[in-house]
Amino acid sequence: MCAEELDFVEKYDLLGCIQCGRCTGGCPVALRTDLRVRCFMYDTLNEERLEEMSEKPEIWDCTTCYTCAARCPKGLEPLEVLIGLRSLQIEEGKVQPTVRDALESIFKDGNPWGSPRAKRLDWAADLEVKSLEPEAEETTDVLLFICCTDAYDPRVMKAAQALVKVLNAAGVDFGLIGEDESCCGSEVRRLGEEGLFEMCDEENVELLNSYNVNRIVAISPHCYNTLKKEYHGLKHQVLHYTELIAELLEDGKLELPNEIAKVVTYHDPCFLGKQNDIYDEPRYIITRIPGVEFREFDRCRERSLCCEGGGGKMWVESESKEERLAEVRVEDAKEIGAEIIAVACPFCLLTLEDATKVKGVDEEMRVMDILELLAEAL
Amino acid sequence: MKDIFVLIEHRRGEMRDVSLEMLSGAAKLGGTVVAVLLGKDVDAFADKAAGFADKVLYVNDAMFDNYNSAVYQKALSALIKEHGPGVVLMGNTAQGVDLAPALAVELGASLVTDVTAMEMEGDKPKPTRTFYGGKLDAHFTLKDADLYILTIREATFVAEEPSKSGEIVKVDNPVTEDVPYRKFLEYVEPEVGEVDITQSTLLVGVGRGIREDKNLPVVEELAQAMGADLAASRAVVDAGWLPSDRQVGISGKTVKPKLYLAVGISGAFQHVTGMKGSEVIVAINKDPDAPIFGIADYGIVDDLFKVVPKLVEKVKELKGA
Amino acid sequence: MNMVVCVKRVPDTADSEVHIDASGKDIDKSRLSFGINECDNYAVEEAIQIKERLEGTVTVISLGNKESDEVIRMALAKGGDEAIRLEDDAFAGGDALAIAKALAAAIKGLEYDVVFTGALTDDDGFAAVPVALAELLGVPHATYVKKVEILEPGKKAKVGRELEGGLMEFLEIDMPCVLGIQTGINEPRYASFKGIKQAAKKEIALKSAADLGLEASDLGEAGSWAVLDSFTPPVVGEMAEILEGEPEETAAKLAAILKEKGLV
Repeated sequence: MCAEELDFVEKYDLLGCIQCGRCTGGCPVALRTDLRVRCFMYDTLNEERLEEMSEKPEIWDCTTCYTCAARCPKGLEPLEVLIGLRSLQIEEGKVQPTVRDALESIFKDGNPWGSPRAKRLDWAADLEVKSLEPEAEETTDVLLFICCTDAYDPRVMKAAQALVKVLNAAGVDFGLIGEDESCCGSEVRRLGEEGLFEMCDEENVELLNSYNVNRIVAISPHCYNTLKKEYHGLKHQVLHYTELIAELLEDGKLELPNEIAKVVTYHDPCFLGKQNDIYDEPRYIITRIPGVEFREFDRCRERSLCCEGGGGKMWVESESKEERLAEVRVEDAKEIGAEIIAVACPFCLLTLEDATKVKGVDEEMRVMDILELLAEAL
Repeated sequence: MKDIFVLIEHRRGEMRDVSLEMLSGAAKLGGTVVAVLLGKDVDAFADKAAGFADKVLYVNDAMFDNYNSAVYQKALSALIKEHGPGVVLMGNTAQGVDLAPALAVELGASLVTDVTAMEMEGDKPKPTRTFYGGKLDAHFTLKDADLYILTIREATFVAEEPSKSGEIVKVDNPVTEDVPYRKFLEYVEPEVGEVDITQSTLLVGVGRGIREDKNLPVVEELAQAMGADLAASRAVVDAGWLPSDRQVGISGKTVKPKLYLAVGISGAFQHVTGMKGSEVIVAINKDPDAPIFGIADYGIVDDLFKVVPKLVEKVKELKGA
Repeated sequence: MNMVVCVKRVPDTADSEVHIDASGKDIDKSRLSFGINECDNYAVEEAIQIKERLEGTVTVISLGNKESDEVIRMALAKGGDEAIRLEDDAFAGGDALAIAKALAAAIKGLEYDVVFTGALTDDDGFAAVPVALAELLGVPHATYVKKVEILEPGKKAKVGRELEGGLMEFLEIDMPCVLGIQTGINEPRYASFKGIKQAAKKEIALKSAADLGLEASDLGEAGSWAVLDSFTPPVVGEMAEILEGEPEETAAKLAAILKEKGLV
C-alpha cells in the first residue's frame, strides 16, 4: 500500500466501539469456536498486542458473513479487524499450507483449486455458448462471470451447466470469457492478502471493461459482491443470476412446464442475503416452479445460519471439533420436512451437501442449486 | 563390444530387485556382463549374481558394510579404470542417483538417468527416459565417450531365471583410505504408530461408502494385508471415524503414494485434489458415475463389502506365495 | 553460514495436458503456467530457516531468461539476500551437466558453506544437477535429502537421505558441500504479493557465459552428456480400466495387476 499506513485504531475506527456485544451475540461461529470478535475490537486498540492477536488461531474461524457488521449499532465492521489481523500473518508468510496453496494457485492459474487455466472452460465443452472477444463491435447483452468453483468442481459445474440451459431456453444473448476469466479475489481479500486482491481488482476491471456488454451476471454471490462493491472502476452493471432469472420469469421469457413435486426450502447465502438484501428474487423463482411446496427455515433471510463456506473457510480447517454449522442447518431442514435444500451459492452447495452425508440423510434429502431445479423444470 | 558393468544394489541384508532386473536386461544387449558387488560378507549375493552374470567382481570389505556414495565412487572409479568397461548400469534409486552423476563427471563418461528403455547401437546405448512426470517419452543420443553410464528405473527390465554361471572374482579393496568428508551414521525406520500419510507409499482411502464406523475393520484389514496406511475423505473424519491427520484433500493433506486405493470414495473434487498425484489410482465404488472413475487407472464398480473381503484374500494369497 | 540456493522456473505440467510441438523436441508451452520447481521451493525454505536460526546470507541463483526473475524474486521475498541470474542464448539445449557447469562457474567464486538445490526437477527429472555440481566444485554431496541438522556451522552437518520405503539414511558431511533437497523436508512459507513487489527492488546480477569464463564446449548441447532426439507420447490408456466380473474375479484381477506393478 502507500507510505502512510493507517493504524488499526484509525483504519477500523476502534474507538467507536462501545463494547455492547451485539457482534459476538450474533456471530454464528461463536456457537462452535473460541472466536469472540468483541474482544478483538478491544484488544487491538493496543498496537503492541497486534502481533499476539494475529497469531490467535480463531481469527481464521471467521466466515466474513457480515452478521457482526449488520448488527453493530455504531456501523463498525468487526470482521474487517479480523481480516486486518490475517493480513499481518500473510505478510509474514505464516499461513496454513492449504491457504498458501490456494493463494499461489490464484496467482499462477487464476483459480484457487490448483487447476490449470487452460481447463477453465472444460465444464462447457458439450454446451452451446458464445465466446466473447474484447473490443468487439457488437454488443452482447450479458457477460456471464463463472466462479472458479463452478468452473472446476465437478459437482458445482452442474449449476453452471444448468444456467446455460436456462438462459438458452429463455433466449438470452449471453457470452463467456472462458480461459481469460480469473478469480474475482473475494476470498483473497478476506484471507488478508491485500496485495494479491489489488492485483485481482486491477487486472479483472481492465479485462471486464474491455468487453462490449450491457451487464455482467455472476453465478456466485461472492463474485457478485466483490465485482459490484469491491472493485474500482468497473463500468458494467453487475447482477446475481437470481436477479436476471426473476426478471425473465416476470417478463414471461422463461417457461417452466415440468412439475417438481417436492418440499423445498431455501438457504439464504450470507453474501446474497444479509450482505446484499437479495431475498425475494430466489423465493420468487422457487415458488414459480410447478409442484413445489415451499417451506421457510425458522432462521431465514437476515437470520440465515451461515454455512461456513465463506471467508476463506474452504481452505482453512478449524481447530474446533464441535458440530459444523452446515450440519445444524441440515438438522433444521430435516425438522421442517424439507426434501430439497435449494441454494444459490457454490460454497453453500458444497458445505450443505457434505453435511447431508455426514448426517446420513443424503438419500432422503438433496441439496441443489436453484439453477438445477430450474433446469429440471424446463 | 566392451564389457557391461552392472552395480549390485543391496541394503541391510537384502539384494534389491533392480539388481537382477539389470543383469537380465544387460544379458540381452550383447557383450560380457560383469556384476560388481561391493559389500561386507555378502557372499550369498555374489552367488546369486553369478547365476545372471558372466563374471562377478566382488570386493569384500568392512568399508562397504553400509552404503556411502563417496566410498562407492572411489571403489568404482578404480575398478572401472582397471577393467575398462564400455557401459555401467546402476539402479535409478536413492543410491544410484547419489552416485552416478559424480562418477560420470569424474571419469568424463556420458550419463543418462532414469532410463526406461534402451537398445545398443554398436557399442553405444540408445536410451529412452520420461519427461514431465511420465507424460512423454524422451529419446536421447549419448555423446561419444569411452564410457557410458545409465541409471535404470526399477521394473524396466524383467528378472529372468538364472541361466549363467559367472566366475566370482574376489578383488582386493582398491580404496586404501577411509573417506573423512562423508560418513555413514545409521539407518532410521519411519516411526511406527505415528502415521504421516504424506510419506506413505501405499494408501487405502476410505470414504462415506462404508456407511458406519463399525464397518471400518473391513477396510482396515485390507490396509493391513497390503502393508498400506489408511487415509480418509473429509466425511469420514468429520464423522469422527478416523483422526484428522488422515484426511486427504483441499483442507487436509496432499499425498502422492505409489498406490491410492479409494474405497467407497465418490471422488469429490475437494478430495481428489489431495490425491490425484498418486502414481496408480484404483477405485472401488458401487456408483458407476462416481467421479473417482474419471481419475482412476483401474476401477471396480461393485459393492465394496463384497469386493474388499475377496481382495484381502487374494492379496494374502499373493504375499504368502 | 553463507548459503547458495539454486532455483529453476519450470512449466506446471502436473494437471495439464502436454503436447509435443512441431519440432518434436519441445512442448507447446503457450497454455501452461509456470512457477518454481517444487523441490527448489523446499530448498529455498530450508536455506531461509537455517539463516533464521544461525544467521547468515542466502544467495539465490537461477539459470534462465528474464521470466526466471519472478521465481528469484519470490525466493528473495522469503528471505534471500542476493541474487544472480545466468543468461545466455548459448545455454539452450543443455542438459544437467551443462547446467551444472554453468552453476559451478558462478558459485566457485563465492564464499559458501552449503549449496542447496532441488533433488530433481518437475520437467526433465534428471536428478543429476546437485551431484554433478558437487563433483565439479570438488566438494562432498548428498541428495534426496529430507533432513538437515547443522552440527558445527561452516564445518559439519548431519543429513538424512530418504530411501525407498521411507527409510532414512543418516550421514555426517563436511562443509562446504552440496545438498539436493527432496520435497517434504519442511513446509514452505507463503510469499505475499506485496512482499514479492518489495523484493523486486533488489538487483539481480546478470552473468553471461563469457562472464562465467565458460568455453563453447561447456555450453548447450556441446556441454551435455546427451542430446534429446525427440519426444514421443507414451503408450498408455486414458480412462480407468474397469475390471469386470463377480467380486471373486475382479478382486483376483486387481490383486494380479497390483502384484505386477510391484505394489503388493
